[in-house]
Amino acid sequence: MIDRIRLTYKQQRFETLAVMVACLGAAAWALLASWHLKSVGVPASCLVDGRVPVWNGPIDSSWVPAACQLPSQRFTDALNSWDVRMVSTLGDVLPFFVGIAMGTPLVARELEQGTAPLSWALAGARWKWLVGKILAALLLIVPLLLIAGLAADVLRGAQEPGIDPHASLDSFTSGGVFFVLWGVAALMGTLALGALFGRTMPVVIVALIVCLFARATWEPLMDANLLHGMAVLEMPGVYSPGELLVYQSDVLYLDGKVYTGTDCTVSNGVPGCQYAPGHEPDPSSIGPELAWYVITGDKYWQVVASEAAVMLAGSAALGAFALLWVGRRRPY
Amino acid sequence: MGSDAGVSTTTAALAAHGLSKRFKKKVALDAVDLAVPRGSVTALVGPNGAGKTTLIRVCMAFERPNSGRVEVDGVDPWKHRSDALKRVGYVPQTPAVYRGLSVEDQLALARSLHHGFDVAYARRRLEQLGIPLDQRADTLSGGQAAQLGLAVALGTRAKVLLLDEPLANLDPLARREFIQVLLDAVKSDGSTALLSSHIVTDVEDACDRLVILGGGKVRLDCPLEEARRGHRLTAADSPPAGATAVGSFLSKDGKDVMTLWRLAPDDTAGAEPGQESEAASLEDVVLGYLAAGRGTAGLQLN
Repeated sequence: MIDRIRLTYKQQRFETLAVMVACLGAAAWALLASWHLKSVGVPASCLVDGRVPVWNGPIDSSWVPAACQLPSQRFTDALNSWDVRMVSTLGDVLPFFVGIAMGTPLVARELEQGTAPLSWALAGARWKWLVGKILAALLLIVPLLLIAGLAADVLRGAQEPGIDPHASLDSFTSGGVFFVLWGVAALMGTLALGALFGRTMPVVIVALIVCLFARATWEPLMDANLLHGMAVLEMPGVYSPGELLVYQSDVLYLDGKVYTGTDCTVSNGVPGCQYAPGHEPDPSSIGPELAWYVITGDKYWQVVASEAAVMLAGSAALGAFALLWVGRRRPY
Repeated sequence: MGSDAGVSTTTAALAAHGLSKRFKKKVALDAVDLAVPRGSVTALVGPNGAGKTTLIRVCMAFERPNSGRVEVDGVDPWKHRSDALKRVGYVPQTPAVYRGLSVEDQLALARSLHHGFDVAYARRRLEQLGIPLDQRADTLSGGQAAQLGLAVALGTRAKVLLLDEPLANLDPLARREFIQVLLDAVKSDGSTALLSSHIVTDVEDACDRLVILGGGKVRLDCPLEEARRGHRLTAADSPPAGATAVGSFLSKDGKDVMTLWRLAPDDTAGAEPGQESEAASLEDVVLGYLAAGRGTAGLQLN
């Protein structure tokens, strides 16, 4: 098995090297960017709800104490610097790049280059052939993505100095163990596509589209389904249309609910209630009361474990499909 | 015709029973019956599209037959793929070399995939041919790459070797070397080889048995010597005594229509060339059967 793993890396040495450089490079970059932000040295007394007040224009001196204005301005500049913005963007795509880069050659390239017939003839049981390759890929990408994910957490911590990234549900799927989970899901999805198509270019194109779609829809799907059961209805506050909700950065806000007696809901703070004719609230009176379904940061690991379980189950299903299809398909 | 040459399928290293395979409407194999005796080197000859590769792919469980079955060393590869493939050494049509891996790496990969792969044996064969083990496999010449493919197949120490047109892209010297290595190995290991080719001269000196495949059907299946001695060739339509016409085709110079005749079994042992007929070469035999398989009298001159 050690030979199989070594030779898998050697067969796809370019992808292996690219993945290593990308992960370790991104991790180093994230740590440098964190150091850049921390070196601004914003005093803890200047933090608002764990965050440095960020102003993308002239600082409103009525909101920010004079002693905090300069550090806040410098922090804002650092946050908007290209290296911090770039590495944050890089972090969003890295797991998908890693999964697709390692997953494409494993099956699709073997089929495309005509080496699969010999390998399958030698292996006898095709699942053994594929499991060896999957194992080699996982052994490489899991530690590398974990390093990159932890570095991304350090960066998140630097971006929000008063927040513990492992107890905050703000953008929690963009770092930590989710780097690994996204990468493994992308790998398995790419393997499944490779088994299906048997050609590298279609696999890369479709995998990119699917990953983009999955990333964009994951959080709304999870919020609406998996996480709603864990959420609690936050104490309703007085709400009037146009009022901004004061967000807490460690809390995951799912959706809101307006109490008017007709039990209507709102989305993103905008009420979508339909009142029965003659029962519209008096605009001059206190408006409907708004409550939010929220999950607080103390449930971080529970939320992470739940979403991780779903993602791993999906990855396992994709891997199983790849195994099944490799067993059924022609090797050319 | 099928396995009519006295080989019991129970003792055959490779057997096909009523094997049919279609690709949409195209029939690749049509009720093929075949029995390759143990220890033989059998040439599977036919034109492009005759079904040679499909037959081998069915034996490798790469293709599922529409009807009938094959047995490799007594095992149905579609029902017991892993078990069947343990018994097969396979040389694909184009040498399957991993780019970037050295020759030694290819052997190591084969060892990691195939339980019992004899690296030392394969390595020794390559060293005897002067193929450097540290050379990248994708920089090998066509002949060397083919030898590497053969060494990998032989390293499995399989009882049955299936070689899918391995000679097609080799120069004459490389072909001869390849066949020599194959024959040595078959002789020393006691294995059975099925060597497909569409070039008769490639396999003429290597094989002891001939299977002609045309249009998905077995046109002839007999020992090579019987194929040579049991057929006569005439330029006219006057048959040798007791012979039956097989097929007609153009002579090499394109001036005559030659007819291949199959001698009655009794005449094959002692048949002497008559005045009007001549001994058929193996190529003539193949051409005659392939012409017959086209469903016409072969190529005719106007």
